[in-house]
Amino acid sequence: MKPVMVIGGGVAGIQAALDLADRGLTVHLVEKDPSIGGVMAQLDKTLPTMDCSICILAPKMIECFRHPNITIHTQSRVKEVAGGAGNFDVKVLKEPRSVDETKCTGCGLCTQKCPTKVRNDWQEGLTDRKAVYIMFPQAVPLTATIDRDHCLYFQKGVCQLCSKVCPAGAIDYEQKPEELNLNVSSIIVATGFQEYDPTELKEYGYSRFKDVLTAMEFERLVCASGPTGGHLNRPSDSKLAHRVAFVQCVGSRTHKKGYPYCSSVCCMYATKEAVLIKEHDPTAEVNVFYMDLKVFGKGFQQFVDRAKSHYGVVYVRGRPGEIRMNPLTRDLTVWYEDTVTGDVSSMEADLVVLCTTMISRPENKELARALGLELDEWGFFKPLNPLTNPVETGMPGVFLCGCSHGPRDIPESVAEASGAAACAAEVSRRFA
Amino acid sequence: MKYALYPGCTVQTDQFGYEASVRETLPNLGVELVDMRGASCCGFPALSSISKVGWHYLSARNLAIAEKMGLAMLPLCNGCHLSFIETMHFLEEDLELRSIINSHLEKEGLMYEGNAKVVHLLEVLHDQVGVDRIRGQVVKPLKGLKIASHPGCHAIRPSDLQKVDDPEDPRKLDDLIKALGAETFDYPEKIDCCGSQLAVASGRTTLKIAGDKLKAVKSYGFEALVTTCPFCFKMYDGRQRAIKGALKDDSLDLPVFYYTQLLGLALGSSPDRLGLQMNMSPVDSIVERITE
Amino acid sequence: MATRNELEVKFISRMLSRLVGEMNAEVCDQCGKCSSACPVSKEIEGFNPRQLIAKVSTGRLNGLLKEDAIWTCTTCLKCRERCPEEISPYDVILILRNLAYRAGYSYPKGYDDFIEGVKESGYVSKPQTVKTRDGGKMSREDMGLPEVAGPEDMGRFRGIVEGIIEAGKSG
Repeated sequence: MKPVMVIGGGVAGIQAALDLADRGLTVHLVEKDPSIGGVMAQLDKTLPTMDCSICILAPKMIECFRHPNITIHTQSRVKEVAGGAGNFDVKVLKEPRSVDETKCTGCGLCTQKCPTKVRNDWQEGLTDRKAVYIMFPQAVPLTATIDRDHCLYFQKGVCQLCSKVCPAGAIDYEQKPEELNLNVSSIIVATGFQEYDPTELKEYGYSRFKDVLTAMEFERLVCASGPTGGHLNRPSDSKLAHRVAFVQCVGSRTHKKGYPYCSSVCCMYATKEAVLIKEHDPTAEVNVFYMDLKVFGKGFQQFVDRAKSHYGVVYVRGRPGEIRMNPLTRDLTVWYEDTVTGDVSSMEADLVVLCTTMISRPENKELARALGLELDEWGFFKPLNPLTNPVETGMPGVFLCGCSHGPRDIPESVAEASGAAACAAEVSRRFA
Repeated sequence: MKYALYPGCTVQTDQFGYEASVRETLPNLGVELVDMRGASCCGFPALSSISKVGWHYLSARNLAIAEKMGLAMLPLCNGCHLSFIETMHFLEEDLELRSIINSHLEKEGLMYEGNAKVVHLLEVLHDQVGVDRIRGQVVKPLKGLKIASHPGCHAIRPSDLQKVDDPEDPRKLDDLIKALGAETFDYPEKIDCCGSQLAVASGRTTLKIAGDKLKAVKSYGFEALVTTCPFCFKMYDGRQRAIKGALKDDSLDLPVFYYTQLLGLALGSSPDRLGLQMNMSPVDSIVERITE
Repeated sequence: MATRNELEVKFISRMLSRLVGEMNAEVCDQCGKCSSACPVSKEIEGFNPRQLIAKVSTGRLNGLLKEDAIWTCTTCLKCRERCPEEISPYDVILILRNLAYRAGYSYPKGYDDFIEGVKESGYVSKPQTVKTRDGGKMSREDMGLPEVAGPEDMGRFRGIVEGIIEAGKSG
């Protein structure tokens, strides 16, 4: 039977790849970043069980790497697709790492010696990385890559320290982009989401006030593998954050500056993060400012109940009107109305977390064009029918799972991945 | 740069110190001001709460006069400025309202055709004249004086109707302050309301709202507050004594200026040509520092 | 053909229907962004733009028009600026004030003075002689400022203003 292509190496793509590989199909897992893992690898804990996120994900990532039926293509994107179900000709462009993947041992010496610092996107900009870097400690493959846009050698023709110190001689500046032509029977789109940038919501002060963070930035701050070793030292002055405010629905449920839809997961991840803070510091003051509490999943209502009664997280029904920063102390003031009691008040906070909406990835546009798929008005892929064919698309042989078609949480993404894998396997079988 | 000057009720009747400072400074910066004949109140807040038709009629007749003059109108009051912007918006959207208004205007031989233009003083000084030209003409720099910027609600909101400055992070008045050699920085209460529109209904709350802001401004180490609106100015300056009484805080002294008064001093004008005699807040020491 | 007076009465009655529908009040989620930005809500318990919109969107207008609360908005416009559903409590409040005046309910007497001033000189008041900081006096003339001239035909102007306000009261 012909192979299946999975586009996107996040938890949904990984699950789909493993399902397919375990039933004997070969899989091409195409990932644009230097490592698979996606957003789940960046999270500190998962809910409602509060397991360490990377601890659950890493074994699956490694399984993908070792599975004889799975070939991982990192730093790769789908450029063109021709053909139809059972017979897709896919052109994949692989960007060069400038590192020989067969030689690199992931020792990290190149990274230590590299003189150039670059914003670390995986750490959500809370710290820097080097121009030659390994994406994160559990990266799969555990291979270095050179960011040619910032590397002194590629920009100015100087340095080359990494090649001098690499004990495996793995640096290869001559590497060129590679074009792969792959013929597959079906394709699964698992390209995930990105976080809304709340800068335009100026009343909340994101990017003006350093201690107003997005949820992803907070995940990296509170994570032991983050820049502060998991301690809540706030970015502006490293003061330990003892009073934290969570603002829900940032960029969602709005007809102005943002998107009208509900982002589905924020109520729960805010609760998770609030509980994390309380576990770090039981005396911390943690307020969650919400509009509604979306607790529809299994164990969700109970999780929130525990957050309230056992951990003492305070939930206030009211969308904050504005956040201010005192220029002398850098402390933040969150103005809100408790709409249940009608009391207009303010909270003094050391740190504010904006629970931002999931939005579609800009790459979806090019991918939709290549695959002949439709996008909805917000750039998410459209399923064939959300009720009867939720993982199928208008293009036979192409399936969807995870946040590529809208905001959803990890359990839902994983379930859809298995669904899409089953559909894809059926196509392979039919066209064998 | 030629504008029809529209001082408005408050400026003409008792805040004419502001008017004096504008007439003194703007021509030095290449701005020609032409007086309007037959102008009247803009209707805000005089009629806006009682009769929307009356309100828009009053604003529209001034817009029609400026239209006839072929000049953009420069109001000196934030309230008048927004009144004109809102009226233009409503008359654009609601043709029935426009025909009602025009039926009244035609009795005076006027007509609102929808071609009127209105600019804010901040736009004229910052965007048209420019901070570089202002800086270049400063002869008495404000020597690092820490001055708080208060642009005022009706200059910066609502952003769907006007784009004088950013509604959440306005910087133009700050830039203009720095152009005079003074220092300024962002502070949390910058875009907060002076509360003056509340005075007609609830005097006590007005004083509290204004006083809280003065207190905050002082707490950050500012030495003065500057504004472009006579309502805001009257609140912070004229009623400063009443604010001190209401807040029971006798130390709440803060010099308050119109921007064009400081502009005038920096450009070398004498204080009495800038209406500084009529500022009720303790401005003397600052004026001395600048002019010595 | 409708007379001018009829047009104005129609416009005023249309304001009532604009309170819901055109002004979006019915889509209000009661989120509280307006009330928590409102400087008056922070000070006065009886004033809350969120609750006001709730009353408007559920048609509970009559009591609202009699409340002092509708006169205590400071027109700062933060509510309009921030509302995620593009509702403007400020605009709604202005219409409620118009309707309350028309219905003959109580309103701050200061507005009567404004109207008298406009009818008298075209402006809310006539130029004053102002106290100076050092205890003296100052007039426009003292400052070398031009005389204030209002509408050229004050009689005609006064008639128009009176007519508009009367039309606002009737019907």
